[in-house]
Amino acid sequence: MIEAIPFLLQGLGTTVIITFGSFLIGAFCAVPLALARLSDIVPLRLLATAYIEVVRGIPPIAWMLVLFYGLGRYVTLPPLLAACLALGAVSTAYLAENYRAGIQAVAGGQWEGAGALGLSKGDTFWRVIAPQGIGVALPPSASYAVGLLKDSAVASVIGVSDIAFQALTLNQQGNPGLPIFLAAGVVYLVVSVPMAVLARKADTFIRTRSAV
Amino acid sequence: MFEQWIQWLPGLLSGLQTSLAVTGLSLLLGLPLGLLFAFGMISRTRILRQTTILIVELGRGIPLLVVLYVVYFGLPDGGIVLESFAAAVVAIAFNTGAYTSEIFRAGLLSVPRGHIEAAQSLGLNWTDEARYIVLPQALRAIVPPLMSYSVIVFQATSLGYAIALPELLNSAYQIGSVTFEFLSVFILAGLIYAALSIVVSRFVDAIHSKTSH
Amino acid sequence: MIDNQQNRTQGAAGTTDAQKAPQLQLKDIHKEFNGNTVLSDISLDVNAGEVVAFIGPSGAGKSTLLRCVNYLETPSSGDLLIDGKPTVKIASKPTRNELMNLRRQVGMVFQSFNLFPHISVLRNVALPQERVLGRSRKEAEERAMELLTRVGLGDKADARPSKCSGGQQQRIAIARALALDPEIMLFDEPTSALDPELGGEVLAVMQELAATGMTMLVVTHEMSFARRVSDRTVFMADGRIVEQGAPEQVFGAPREARTKKFLEAVLER
Repeated sequence: MIEAIPFLLQGLGTTVIITFGSFLIGAFCAVPLALARLSDIVPLRLLATAYIEVVRGIPPIAWMLVLFYGLGRYVTLPPLLAACLALGAVSTAYLAENYRAGIQAVAGGQWEGAGALGLSKGDTFWRVIAPQGIGVALPPSASYAVGLLKDSAVASVIGVSDIAFQALTLNQQGNPGLPIFLAAGVVYLVVSVPMAVLARKADTFIRTRSAV
Repeated sequence: MFEQWIQWLPGLLSGLQTSLAVTGLSLLLGLPLGLLFAFGMISRTRILRQTTILIVELGRGIPLLVVLYVVYFGLPDGGIVLESFAAAVVAIAFNTGAYTSEIFRAGLLSVPRGHIEAAQSLGLNWTDEARYIVLPQALRAIVPPLMSYSVIVFQATSLGYAIALPELLNSAYQIGSVTFEFLSVFILAGLIYAALSIVVSRFVDAIHSKTSH
Repeated sequence: MIDNQQNRTQGAAGTTDAQKAPQLQLKDIHKEFNGNTVLSDISLDVNAGEVVAFIGPSGAGKSTLLRCVNYLETPSSGDLLIDGKPTVKIASKPTRNELMNLRRQVGMVFQSFNLFPHISVLRNVALPQERVLGRSRKEAEERAMELLTRVGLGDKADARPSKCSGGQQQRIAIARALALDPEIMLFDEPTSALDPELGGEVLAVMQELAATGMTMLVVTHEMSFARRVSDRTVFMADGRIVEQGAPEQVFGAPREARTKKFLEAVLER
């Protein structure tokens, strides 16, 4: 049993890479998506809304199979990349909704006030709106990152050697499954619990700072 | 493409049936479990409260897929052998219980203390108090998020793919492995997931905006 | 000392039958909360038809005392008697039946009204009658209508409580409590959450109720109400009864320095 731990921990790095990789993809791509979702240009807004709704309506594991097997005929993606892209696409949709809530939480008067001062739309967004909206968008995004860590386990079904995959491998080699999968669960907890605590800390930090 | 889709549809729909059956049974078992966890979390007995919180944290902190592996691959070591269908229901129901306990707890606590005192001072006994005062008010706070959560449960049934449960995603995979039209069949399956999820979500939103006005 | 004042207030209340046991008796009611004494050994007799006003600084224990009378708060020790009969055998451990019996005899009106928001005004008044007294729905709703009309709100019967003003909600809450035919009514700062104008409507209903001979215990910040309507005013501070007597005496010629200080502070505002 003890000798299983290092083997499981070998998967930890991969799990962290999927989580952070897909979160980074989402964090970047969600900016234009959120802006498109709030755009005055109707087709752009509809397209963004459709992306968000459809992507969130399909389970992450299905996205993973689409990218890995579905695109397999045209391009062969390494499993790790396929996993990051699949979860990245999903987190783009979720984070865009968080960003939108953040942007909309900033009072409309701020746009008018900045406009009256002669600030460009771009300057207004980046220097006035975004810094205020981030306090609203960050806490749910941080908890989303914790959720992403758990979602990353589905990468094991396309052969990415993350924690869950390592556990499966051990089990298939004839080791008893119960202790191995429980140990794998504990490894996830060891990462997810501090992440959740950190997310809560960041939340209170931002709240107290913006309250001043 | 559409001709293929029509040809595949019966196979996918029978997979969908399994997905929906797992969804329904998981909710049927998971929601009472969630209510039970909620009562445990607000219990005055410290040991009960702490044990419940621990179980709930485990349920929320461990990926559902790993819980599924524990139930399907792990429990046989303890002498409990479950088929993939039963294993999926057990794992998802436990997960549902852990996640919905917070919804139930918040709903129960949303009933103002004063209303409970008023019910008591009027001499209502505790069953009447729960039936006529607490639950009707709590349900308003509980039902919309639970309906949203049922969409998450429906999507979670796709993890059954990993234990060879013949649900929607697995049916799509089976069709793909015969026809090699993976992309096409996954798109169709994806659209079925999305269509159901979006319809239910819109419905919940509609109810929500109606009741909050 | 208390007994002396008791006789005096009976005179003030105009109670004729002095032979009968007091309707409500509190004996050495003591309440501790997390090691802090909130009420220390309070004894008080209240006769049928008497209106007793409790005044004093916040934190004096007035509301806690009132809540002990219908066991929303459980006293740490002491006895609570109604019509000379003990209501709860072991003060700190009331049984379910004892609580039901006690609360059937005692009605309560809260500072925050606590109407049930999910049912109509009429159902608020009718439902407890059906569940607690076993009245039929028709009977209960007739009685509810009668009481709502009496507090001037017959036209609000089908509305949700949230559609009523604070003053109206409080009058509905009074009707709801009265519908159970209580022998004693408790009012816990019934006008504190209301604008003076709306509070006036509620005080008018209470004054009318007092005139019908209802036994009333009222915790209040309305000094003029205490002075005008009560048969006896009880001044509390730090979990004790500091002084009590006819309102003319307590307000006009307070004996204790603590009472004087409080009244000066309140009346000078």
